[in-house]
Amino acid sequence: MVPLSWYLILAAALFCIGLYGVLSHRNLVVILMSLELMLNAININLIAFSRYLEPGQRTGMVFALFVYVVAAAEAALGLALVIAIWRNRDTVAVEEIDTLKG
Amino acid sequence: MLTSQQIGFLILGAMTLGAAILVVRVHQVFHATLSMILSFLGVAGLYVLLGVSFMAGLQLFIYIGGVSVLTVVALMVTRGGMDGQVRIANESVGAAIITLAMFAGLTWLILQVPWPITPLVPAPADDVVFLGETLVAIDAYAIPFELASLLLFVVLIGALYIARER
Repeated sequence: MVPLSWYLILAAALFCIGLYGVLSHRNLVVILMSLELMLNAININLIAFSRYLEPGQRTGMVFALFVYVVAAAEAALGLALVIAIWRNRDTVAVEEIDTLKG
Repeated sequence: MLTSQQIGFLILGAMTLGAAILVVRVHQVFHATLSMILSFLGVAGLYVLLGVSFMAGLQLFIYIGGVSVLTVVALMVTRGGMDGQVRIANESVGAAIITLAMFAGLTWLILQVPWPITPLVPAPADDVVFLGETLVAIDAYAIPFELASLLLFVVLIGALYIARER
């Protein structure tokens, strides 16, 4: 069988790649895609912990399901915001969206 | 000696991570989206390997079916703003240092603990029935389940309101 630590290290790597995308990119759409990668890493962790450590086998799966719900909401609202910003300012580059910077 | 499951894990893991690296490094945004779909597919394969095939199906429906289509639509609408190109910001070296340090720290932390080698119990044979009973049982997760549907409804209206033509 695959040891649990392999899954945890894979999820950590996926999370860090997503974090790198969020920190280093200028395009809002790519930043949202990197956020989805990070949420996927968290779901791998939840399900792996549930399979390897939990007698009831249900809490991890239910949590992962609610992460899916939140991820879908985040993607829909985030991309709607991107489209709204595009309409108003003709840009999706994060450093040009600085009206609130004062 | 590696078992067949471990070989499958390594292949799926390499596919997931390789595609994820392409998402953040490739220069065309559309190619990044295609890599993202490949990465989601790898995660779905990992769920099959973990024995939760219903979650793998959900991964296909929600991420590959839903989020990817939303991303492609947003990409089409905002096309031209970045000339279809992803320019990596100047801070990308700093970001790489931060994320590599974080990965090293997490890996060190994970290796400190003697994690189990095998799953605790065999995977439930019919996990759709299992999950369905859990989600609608009043003493389990019925109220969060209904709240989730309310959240999705509010998000539907909110997204329409935000993205509407003014």
